[in-house]
Amino acid sequence: MRLRESLRLSWRSIRGHKLRSTLTTLGVVIGIAAVITFVTLGVSLEAGILGDVDTGQTNRIYVWGSPAGEGGGPGEDAELIFTQRDVTELRNQSDVAAAYPWTPLPSESLTHGNDTVPIREGVIATGTEYVEADRVADGRRFEEGEREAVINPAAANRFEENVSVGDTVAVAVPGAGEVNATVVGVLETSEGQGPFEGFGEDPRIYLPADPYYLDLASEATDDPRYLSVVVEADDPRDVDAARDSARAYLESDASDAGDYLGGDLELTIQTGGELLEQIQDILDQVTAFVTGIAVISLVVGAIGIANIMLVSVTERTREIGVMKAVGAQNRDVLTLFLTEAVILGVIGAVGGVALGAVGGWAAAEYADLPLTYPLEWFAIAVGVGILVGVVSGLYPAWRAARTDPIDALRYE
Amino acid sequence: MADDPAVSLTGVRKTYRVGEPVHALDGVDLSLVDGSYTAVMGPSGSGKSTLMNLVGCLDAPTEGTVTVDGTDVTALSDRERTALRGDEIGFVFQTFNLMPRLTARENVALPLIFQGVDAAERGERADAMLGRMGIGDRGDHRPNELSGGQRQRVAIARALVTDPTLVLADEPTGNLDTETGARILDVFDEAHAAGNTILVVTHERHVAERADRIVHLLDGRIERIERVGRPGSAGAGGPADDEVTG
Ligand SMILES: Nc1ncnc2c1ncn2[C@@H]1O[C@H](COP(=O)(O)OP(=O)(O)OP(=O)(O)O)[C@@H](O)[C@H]1O
Ligand SMILES: [Mg+2]
Repeated sequence: MRLRESLRLSWRSIRGHKLRSTLTTLGVVIGIAAVITFVTLGVSLEAGILGDVDTGQTNRIYVWGSPAGEGGGPGEDAELIFTQRDVTELRNQSDVAAAYPWTPLPSESLTHGNDTVPIREGVIATGTEYVEADRVADGRRFEEGEREAVINPAAANRFEENVSVGDTVAVAVPGAGEVNATVVGVLETSEGQGPFEGFGEDPRIYLPADPYYLDLASEATDDPRYLSVVVEADDPRDVDAARDSARAYLESDASDAGDYLGGDLELTIQTGGELLEQIQDILDQVTAFVTGIAVISLVVGAIGIANIMLVSVTERTREIGVMKAVGAQNRDVLTLFLTEAVILGVIGAVGGVALGAVGGWAAAEYADLPLTYPLEWFAIAVGVGILVGVVSGLYPAWRAARTDPIDALRYE
Repeated sequence: MADDPAVSLTGVRKTYRVGEPVHALDGVDLSLVDGSYTAVMGPSGSGKSTLMNLVGCLDAPTEGTVTVDGTDVTALSDRERTALRGDEIGFVFQTFNLMPRLTARENVALPLIFQGVDAAERGERADAMLGRMGIGDRGDHRPNELSGGQRQRVAIARALVTDPTLVLADEPTGNLDTETGARILDVFDEAHAAGNTILVVTHERHVAERADRIVHLLDGRIERIERVGRPGSAGAGGPADDEVTG
């Protein structure tokens, strides 16, 4: 018998039991849809996060000091330990192309004209290179030593009259009054520029650490220190070497940060690549976990198909007898029932992929992530659907094929 | 007999063991000459259907041999027996045994699928067969949309569509009025004239009389074999009895 015939005949009997076939495939649909939705979400999350950190930032090394043995995310529980001299010295280390501080400026509000909006976090004192040139949509980056600022759209648009290049904004710093800055650049997007900030779209304004941070800190203490430092290598290939030389310097007696290190404080130096890996590890774990759950529902779906196929074999005993009586070989009967199971599996998979694609889209939309479809998973899902069909159909089909025609014809 | 036997049974016994052993067939010797037309009569439970199943390669005897077309069926593999069934034998079951979800046309075409005949030719041959049965306009109906007699005719069309050398029919006219029954019997006559070997089980004398001879079964044995004249020929119904010990 040809494949086309068995497809036609199998489709016939599936259509003959519409409700039953629908319910049977539902198990597979739900399983596959769950996998696709969550994998889509995972991939989109990854794209959302990695897209920001990615390219251009893998040559960055993030440095901070935090209580020993606590681990935690980038910059978590960091202490103010780096001096301007440390930053300058770091620039001179081998394989280091650039080094600049990253430290948030304590702030209360941001004023533009007569319009004041609160801002608790998001005023960041750093170096010129921290804001990448090609992420500035309008204007340019600030220059160190100047009273300039770069603002992101989320912050710029909070005011009744949007902030644009050339405007002056004032940051209210607790205990120090207001400091003014001229906006010289507006960023393209509002995502964080690095892992210390997180990657969410929040209002942020970037200022040169010199003068803003140094001036303010000098008023309070004669030994101003930064929370963290970003070191850059020229090329992502030199990142490990740059990391090692930065660590060597910072842990040596020559560095100011070294005074604090050793006891309770521990230096953490992570390259952009390492951070990516960590994020990826977490995402992979989440994906594996979710996939595990989905696999369970697929097994349930497969049992559903097997069960229905067994019922169907019993129900159609007489038909099987007729087919064999008129010349159907065991192989033909096997093919017929297997085809039926595989069709159910494939319909389930295709339906599941469709539903999962919609689900993934909705989830990405809801979480405000760039939608990225894991196309290879779509293919895998259809493959799994076929597999589920074959596995669950094999035993029922074998039972059908073995049916003795004379017994089958007598079956009431 | 001078001609090669299309079917021959020697010392065939079929015993069912449901508590007390039941000898559905109890030592049957019978041969059907190629191109012959044989009727089987006998009371209910005498083993007629059992005999048909054995000749139709659906069942294997407990004892004895069944030869179809020169091959010992009992020695064939399941696969070969199925192939033989599909190619050489057309079976009309006592209960129609149509496929409920397939249309009349598809039912008739079913055996051709397993012979690898392509769809276009299958449709043509099935339609032609249904036409010969006088239900050419019912090709798209499903069995549950047909009358009992129409279903029987679909079953007969299905048996004849492969142009089998051996046609087996278990009560083919049981559900038909005399006129339709006669029409069906004409189809068997045509098949017979075309050289097919025919074996028909019936309770009705006038149906049996269409055959060359009538095998009378009783309690699983051949009681006697009666030669009958062809209808229309002089002396039909005045049988020249030809006793055979079973
Ligand atoms: N599968 C079976 N198991 C046990 N006994 C069986 C089986 N099939 C048939 N028999 C017995 O064998 C005998 C012959 O049955 P068979 O079906 O051949 O009768 P029949 O002549 O066709 O009768 P009818 O005219 O009613 O169709 C009966 O006594 C029946 O009970
Ligand atoms: Mg019977």
